[in-house]
Amino acid sequence: MLTVTNVDKFYGGVKAVENVSLEVGEGKIIGLIGTNGAGKTTLFNVISGFDKLDRGSVNFEGQEISNLLPSKIAKLGMIRTFQTATGFPRLTVLENLLVFSDNNNFDFYKNFLNKSEENKEQIDKAEELLKKFGLFEKKNQWVIDLSAPELKILEFARAIMGNPQIMLLDEPAAGVNPALLEQLMEIIKELNGEGITFLIVDHNLRFICDISDFIYVMNDGKLIAQGNPEEIINNELVIETYIGK
Amino acid sequence: MEGFLIFSISILTLAFVYVILCLALNIECGVAGMWDLGIVSYFGVGAYSYAIIVAPEAASYQHYLFGFESNPIYGIALAIVLGGVSAYLIGLPSLRLRREYFLITTIAFSEVLRITFSNENWLTNGVAGIYNIKQPLKSFFTPDNYLILLFVIFLCISLIVYRMVNRLSFSNYGLSLKALRENEALAKTARIEPGKQYHSVYVFTGCLAGLSGALYVWLNTLIVPTQFTPNVTFFVWTALIIGGIGNNRGAFLGAIFFVILLETLSFLNLSAELALVVSSLRIALVGLALILILRYLPNGLLREKPTIIR
Repeated sequence: MLTVTNVDKFYGGVKAVENVSLEVGEGKIIGLIGTNGAGKTTLFNVISGFDKLDRGSVNFEGQEISNLLPSKIAKLGMIRTFQTATGFPRLTVLENLLVFSDNNNFDFYKNFLNKSEENKEQIDKAEELLKKFGLFEKKNQWVIDLSAPELKILEFARAIMGNPQIMLLDEPAAGVNPALLEQLMEIIKELNGEGITFLIVDHNLRFICDISDFIYVMNDGKLIAQGNPEEIINNELVIETYIGK
Repeated sequence: MEGFLIFSISILTLAFVYVILCLALNIECGVAGMWDLGIVSYFGVGAYSYAIIVAPEAASYQHYLFGFESNPIYGIALAIVLGGVSAYLIGLPSLRLRREYFLITTIAFSEVLRITFSNENWLTNGVAGIYNIKQPLKSFFTPDNYLILLFVIFLCISLIVYRMVNRLSFSNYGLSLKALRENEALAKTARIEPGKQYHSVYVFTGCLAGLSGALYVWLNTLIVPTQFTPNVTFFVWTALIIGGIGNNRGAFLGAIFFVILLETLSFLNLSAELALVVSSLRIALVGLALILILRYLPNGLLREKPTIIR
């Protein structure tokens, strides 16, 4: 589904990502771990179009997406999240979901000439999602008034609203308490069961090992290991990177 | 009593010009989050576009292009079109920038245009300006009735603009602008293209500011470059902050409140010495109002509220 081949990304003389290749098969949950500064988020930015790559290629569903605009990549069905879940602070919870409706028409002329009808179907879908994630009571509140755990959960609801084929989660476990982490894992597994593929970046080894089918490990911009969770937790290079010699 | 009524009507008619400017700035800045200090540019372009085709032919001692004495409707149409075209062109370089860099660029362009209006004699008659621009339909009414007519026309136009801006603000398009305002990176993942959205709202703002420029000349019957200093931009910003950024009703109310505040002191019947002091106080009073609003109502008289969809 998603193939990253020999990708390099440099910032001046700093090699943030060097010769990284990975594959994400359809319906899988793939983990990408590494310590701080390993280049995980840079790789995420390159895949999702937020940064331009310097060498290599990124293919999604057989289509080359290297250096496409993020909005174009999102249109193909790849939705990503960010490390800090802030959402759209001064939009309501419901609006936060409606922005992601896949049949939105944001064109000026169409909206200027015709009153855009409230899309009942999309509102129903958004409300269903909010009920499912326990945010329905807050649907007309600004997102700035939500708590941190609610913001994390809203991220998922928002992404699902856009009918993604693949979700790229950037450090979903960061700053999350154990109870919420359990809840997030359940959500990810449930969505995966519904057919959504995941590529998850995190530095929480236990979380990634618990949830992933396959794991890539990065350090200093390079891939240093790959394998299933059991292989990874027993890999000496990974242990050395995380714990030291 | 009659004098007071005429005075009030005149002030409110001028206020409706500012209402259009405020609504234009609100969709650009309040809804889309683009901090623009150059709205006077398109106000000026609209005003000059209207003036040079509605004004009579230039006299022997004047220099300006056209002077067709044409129908004001054409003048207004041209003002809207050229306001939009100039916004499109200025937007090409400046919309590549964000926040304070965008703000600096827009104020620079507004000064470039003002200096152009002052120095290009062949086009605008320079600092002497263009005057004696006939007001449409004036011959059919007494002066007092004409004031009432202007009041009604300007009120209707500003209400139409309000409705248009409000409809756009709460459409899918408006939702995309608010999403960009709140979190541009996340908005991109919602399939929103920032460049396209920013440019379209910038051109729309230019068209509205152009319209208000045309109405301003219609009301004043003359045009000089000193009417288009950055003060106009700051006045519109002040009015918007007073009314409430992000709220179209607030923008409408803020413009009216601001013009009443600014103009009322001009018409007090005072001695010459006192009038001099009071005229300086006008701006100070506006500043004081702004400080008080920011202190006690930081979101303005009518703050932006969550949109209730159902």
